[in-house]
Amino acid sequence: MKVKIGSLEIKNPVMTASGTFGYGEEFEPYVDLDRLGAVVVKGLSLEPRPGNEPPRIMETPAGMLNAVGLENIGVKAFVADKLPYLRWHSVAVIANIFGETLDEYVRIAEHLNGVAGVDALEINISCPNVKKGGIAFGAHPGDAAEVTRCVKAATDLPVIVKLTPNVTDIAEIALSVEGAGADALSLINTIRGMSVDVEKRVPHLKNITGGLSGPAIKPVALRMVWDVARVASVPVIGVGGITTASDALEFLIAGATAVQIGTANFINPRATLDVLEGIERYLVEREIGDVNDLIGTLAI
Amino acid sequence: MCDKAMESNRAVIVGIIRSNHPMTRDVFLMTVTVPHGFESAMPGQFVMVRVRGREFPFLPRPFSIHSLYREGEASTMEILYQVVGDGTRLLSSLGSGDELTILGPLGKGFDTRYDRRTVALIAGGIGIAPLHFLAQYYNKKNVHGEEKPRLVCFMGARTADGLIGRERMEQLCDAVMVSTDDGREGYCGMVTDCFVDNSKTMDTADLILYCCGPYEMMKRVALMAGDYSVPCQVSMEARMACGIGACLGCSVKMKSDGRPVRYGRVCKDGPVFDSKMIDW
Repeated sequence: MKVKIGSLEIKNPVMTASGTFGYGEEFEPYVDLDRLGAVVVKGLSLEPRPGNEPPRIMETPAGMLNAVGLENIGVKAFVADKLPYLRWHSVAVIANIFGETLDEYVRIAEHLNGVAGVDALEINISCPNVKKGGIAFGAHPGDAAEVTRCVKAATDLPVIVKLTPNVTDIAEIALSVEGAGADALSLINTIRGMSVDVEKRVPHLKNITGGLSGPAIKPVALRMVWDVARVASVPVIGVGGITTASDALEFLIAGATAVQIGTANFINPRATLDVLEGIERYLVEREIGDVNDLIGTLAI
Repeated sequence: MCDKAMESNRAVIVGIIRSNHPMTRDVFLMTVTVPHGFESAMPGQFVMVRVRGREFPFLPRPFSIHSLYREGEASTMEILYQVVGDGTRLLSSLGSGDELTILGPLGKGFDTRYDRRTVALIAGGIGIAPLHFLAQYYNKKNVHGEEKPRLVCFMGARTADGLIGRERMEQLCDAVMVSTDDGREGYCGMVTDCFVDNSKTMDTADLILYCCGPYEMMKRVALMAGDYSVPCQVSMEARMACGIGACLGCSVKMKSDGRPVRYGRVCKDGPVFDSKMIDW
């Protein structure tokens, strides 16, 4: 079941998606972390962020909108208070990072470089819920490449770049960050959306708009993964509405080397393991000895 | 029936509905058989509920535990809920034998370590749901190894039929004061004003308040508690996705006393908070 994400080898292709699994310990009663391929932690900024004013979430048909606003404890507190718990486990730890400026991305990457227990960085250039930075970097090929190049120069760790779907041509952005040295690509982040309370005639979210996630976005994510995997030469990590093993298999067949489970963790805290066990069963039943033999085998 | 409930693992408990009756036009009382081990739940804790095998509604719904008691090999949990949207409407259509997936018990319940001779439970409407479990708890065991405190319940509702479970509370409490907006039953006006009128006869130095109800009502109670220097615990409500502290959706603004803005998670840091901690 082993797969390689750049120079990082993980024990299986099932990861958690950033922002849906806390810092791992929240899921202690439900998930044996040692069984997962990797834990991608809640996005980290240089300084702690309180996040957006509530209400922050709203249910939608087959999904949810969120405008949490990247609430997090900051990179220093992560290393001091949260990383020790993760280090007790054999699971690979991927630190998701974001900044409002190029300089902030670089300083977080520098802070995490050489920290024992961090196995890779995932750069978030695609959060729709912060006013500065974030989306701006992810929406332009040149900016996306620049932040990738700067982070690569600041770290020895493998760098995964998480792409936004809120662009006209995601493959163009993908090729641009690959050219800037990205070791892998993860896609997609949430799709911008909104929801209105018709009684009060106000948005359901205080932030007005939010990011849509859950099964509702799965076909969009799958199409984008396919679009990118066809042209990219680095591994692609599929994320977006994956809830079942069958969902995950679709992404692997379409070309994803690994998958991230996000919103599904909220409705079933054991979703990651359910997906993993389902993939294992699928491979056994079809006598496929190596999951890599399944990746990108979509017959057209 | 119990065998099925016993099969459940920690992550997904299967609860089997025994009954699901309307108490009023839009408030239902559901009785659910849950596996052994669930009885460690404390008053104020909650469960996340989905209808088993149904993909709608997408997110589980949080409900406080209304009561819990052991019955043979399993336990029986009651959920008192108001139909407010599509999720609770679906729940109200279920009947005996239907199955729920349940996560819980979750969150921090009421802190009952206060050594006070009078315990006031202040409920607005459906806010009675967790306070009933708390009243049962005080009756079940002598939590302080001392004399049982005097339980006084203040129940408020718009109209008399909104005073849900009044008879039950009368059995559990030493006194129950009711108030209605139209005055047809009990005190005419808000439950907070009813409490103020009655509090004149109470020794505030020996009083603790436990409160659950609409936000504005809890805010008034919290401010009064501050004025009287009486400890007060409030059970907050918020839209949430996971119930276990991961989604950061159920935030409530905490008092920061000049420090940067800080949000608490209703699901993990609450749902019960010391009223002084909330930035009302």
